[in-house]
Amino acid sequence: MARKRGRGMAACWYGIARTATVDRAGAWAEIDDGGSAKIVTGVTEIGEGILTVLAQIVAHELGVKPADVVIGDNDTARSPEAAHAGASRQTYMIGNVVALACREARARLAGVMAEVWDVEVDLIRTGNGECWAENTNHRITMGEAVDTCKKRGVVPVGSASFGTDTTGLDPSDGAGRPWQAYVFGCQVAEVEVDTITGEVQVLAVWAAHDVGRAVNPKGVEGQIEGGIVQALGQGLMEDYKLRDGHTSTSGFAKYILPTSLDVPRVNSIIIEDPDPIGPLGVKGIGEPAMVPTIPAIMNAIYDAVGVRITSLPATPERVLGALREKQRLTSLQAAE
Amino acid sequence: MPDLQFQATVNGRKVARSAKPHQRLLDFLRDDLQLTGNKEGCGAGECGTCSVFVDGVLMKSCLMPVAKAQGAQIETIEALARTGELSVLQKAFYKAGASQCGYCIPGMVMAATAAIRANPFAGREEIKERLGGNICRCTGYQKIFDAVEMARDVQNGKLPASALSEIEAEQGDFIGRNVRRIDAPSKVSGALKYAGDMTMPHMLHVQVLRSPHAHARIVSIDTSAAEKLEGVEGVISSADVPGEDGFGVFVNDQPIMARGKVRYVGEAIAAVAAEDALTAMRAVEKIKVVYEQLPAIFDPDDAMHDGVPVLHDYAPDNVTKHIPIRVGDVEKGFAESDLVLEETYATQAIEHAYLEPEAGLAYVDPDGVVTVVSPSQNITHHRHMLARIIAKPIAKVRFIMSPVGGGFGGKEDMIYQGMLALLAMKTRRPVRLVFTREESIISTAKRHPSRTTLRMGLMRDGRIRALEMKMISDGGAYGLSTEGVMRKAAILAAGPYVIPNVKIDTIGVYTNNTPSGAFRSFGALQTEFATESMLDVAAERLGLDPFEIRRVNAMRDGATTHTKQKLGSVSLMRALDAAEKASAWEKGAPNSRGGNRNDLNRDDVRPPVSLGARFETADKQEAAE
Repeated sequence: MARKRGRGMAACWYGIARTATVDRAGAWAEIDDGGSAKIVTGVTEIGEGILTVLAQIVAHELGVKPADVVIGDNDTARSPEAAHAGASRQTYMIGNVVALACREARARLAGVMAEVWDVEVDLIRTGNGECWAENTNHRITMGEAVDTCKKRGVVPVGSASFGTDTTGLDPSDGAGRPWQAYVFGCQVAEVEVDTITGEVQVLAVWAAHDVGRAVNPKGVEGQIEGGIVQALGQGLMEDYKLRDGHTSTSGFAKYILPTSLDVPRVNSIIIEDPDPIGPLGVKGIGEPAMVPTIPAIMNAIYDAVGVRITSLPATPERVLGALREKQRLTSLQAAE
Repeated sequence: MPDLQFQATVNGRKVARSAKPHQRLLDFLRDDLQLTGNKEGCGAGECGTCSVFVDGVLMKSCLMPVAKAQGAQIETIEALARTGELSVLQKAFYKAGASQCGYCIPGMVMAATAAIRANPFAGREEIKERLGGNICRCTGYQKIFDAVEMARDVQNGKLPASALSEIEAEQGDFIGRNVRRIDAPSKVSGALKYAGDMTMPHMLHVQVLRSPHAHARIVSIDTSAAEKLEGVEGVISSADVPGEDGFGVFVNDQPIMARGKVRYVGEAIAAVAAEDALTAMRAVEKIKVVYEQLPAIFDPDDAMHDGVPVLHDYAPDNVTKHIPIRVGDVEKGFAESDLVLEETYATQAIEHAYLEPEAGLAYVDPDGVVTVVSPSQNITHHRHMLARIIAKPIAKVRFIMSPVGGGFGGKEDMIYQGMLALLAMKTRRPVRLVFTREESIISTAKRHPSRTTLRMGLMRDGRIRALEMKMISDGGAYGLSTEGVMRKAAILAAGPYVIPNVKIDTIGVYTNNTPSGAFRSFGALQTEFATESMLDVAAERLGLDPFEIRRVNAMRDGATTHTKQKLGSVSLMRALDAAEKASAWEKGAPNSRGGNRNDLNRDDVRPPVSLGARFETADKQEAAE
């Protein structure tokens, strides 16, 4: 058999948000006319889906619909600071701070409605575009509730800041509290190795990752699937080559990326171990999704054909070289 | 060459215009007709985001001279939702969550449209093959395949049209629900404007002169011939920086343009703003730079020797950052171990390859605020740095983050925004710079390549007694995120395992290679690759199942990390159990037993690829049913 299959696994851990420094983010919220919501924060979408996650969080916190959420963002002169888009921090930092800002805005609205209806403020409920008082017949739309607030001279706004309780590392032994939220994961890869060409195909990956709380499960899967395929690229084919500082891989004809034909079937398992510190229990997934993929694939190659690839990428040339070396050593042993 | 009298039908409308003979169809559509839905990703026919229909055939419009489309029927992504309603396929992309950054999506939607036109019954494997000419860097393709299958089934009446609509939340709780992405309609229709799609009235175009040398002293820069060229409105070099020059994520060691010397091939030296990009390009060619080449250093191990060239005066040993972690006594731990393993691991530099090459606009607003619009991942920090560099109060500097067509860490560096600001200030006109793919690859950060030496000492039952790791990493010519990458690499290096004796050193080094910087998984990918690879070797040597050796060592609730932080809840055991169960893993030591496994080739594994063998015809499909 020229084509041999095998499986390998690896685990991972990762820290969420900025490392070994205090992270922070700010946001403003307003329950706006017609029962819509206006959210302003300093950094959002780079493709991961945070705008949708925020719309869901706002809908959950304020009782409006995601389609009625307007997000103003990403402008240093028009929005509060929320630091950067990276470090797997968006759902954790921006999600949590937007939730806190919404809670303040909602408290303003609830305070007015409690007064109007003459009930305890804890009995005011909002959900899916409506506002009502529990155990009463009072029920109006969120648009009417906003109107009521404004007629009493109240604009239901809120703002919030969310910061982390973290420290730098000791310069001599590294002691410190680099993150307040950690995630863990594990992946299994199944590969097929062609022993004539050296080509490795990754046929499947099972990926189990803790994300704290999945706001949008399909979005989480998208991050896992995308992360695994980027890692597959580094594991098997991508290679930025330099010679005396000049690259020979300055275009996609030479710099090879994974295409639709290279990708495994990804089977994602989402684990929810809520973060006890932030208001939402969410953590993050962008970066950790990539971490165990490469060792899982390399361990699977060993399972299939008995060669350990320790230098990336595992190109056909490198896999074939390792197979030949293994054969040479085996025949040497046989001759002895 | 005289202008071309070009006539065609574009998205159902007759177009008759003069065109430049050097224009590609993509330029004509985007620049002349303002149809910016289809993007340029590589300019070489490799990525497919520029894909349009020419007489009904899927074509990469970056490879087609406009003259070749004379008289043709042309359809761009804008044609698919011309009535304002998304096509079935676009709705399916929306429903399936098939768009992330969205930059590849216009071309992907065109290719998918072509695929199900060619075979309305195409199976998943055939769909994959028909999308093989389109690169997506974000999604991993899976949701794209899902979308095409969903559209196919709706078209064929196997699924109701309502399968494409939004789910209703139960009790108004939207957390934990698959709400459709709110930005997807703008992405699947090509309506979203990325920086390279934006124009401003009276805008100038920018081109950059880059270093051909890895290490050289700049003796002189003569821009006079470039400045005299008709249509050139401004030329800048480091002499034009009014404030304190220097940017970086952790150390401000990189000037906006090379100052006194160049440290890597592709480093910016000067920039030109002109009425059009071609004039700017010609002006760049007229800038005369006299260099005195310096000895260069390309290997990080060599860079730490005495007497080698020094890149930055503040780091005479060429070390950007060294992060140590110490727990217990590793030598004692190795002495106590039953098995000691040692291996070296190496990882290569890789490119982010976001489909959107860097692009940006800058202008000075009527209140004198210098404004930069770009797909920056860190507008907060960029504003701080730029204010210092151009000597303005913070309130007079504004950064706007345009839609990011993929970042992955690569757009955290302020690699070109400073040039845009300086040219807008100098010309008092809006300016725009769009990188070519080649420019993006040679001049921006890569993932840190690494060489790691790892020693692991274990007891017979699998417990790790000691772990020692040293990683040397090539940070390239400038610091960028090297310090942070070394830190994260070190903290996570030993894995989520309880180990009484740990010694970690991660060292980032300056060389004259392309700078390394932030890249998704930020150093942890390199160090955890080594540790997780070695654990497999350890499991084989000790006759343990690879899940079991991890369970033996796993951090549990309340564990203390290698940086002496006490954790609360630790979900590692749950992740191990879940992956083992989902994959129906057959227990056993990892001793190349692949040939004897009984857990292979299940239903949740894709078939291997054999090119061209999987195309199904409608007849075959119908016969099978």
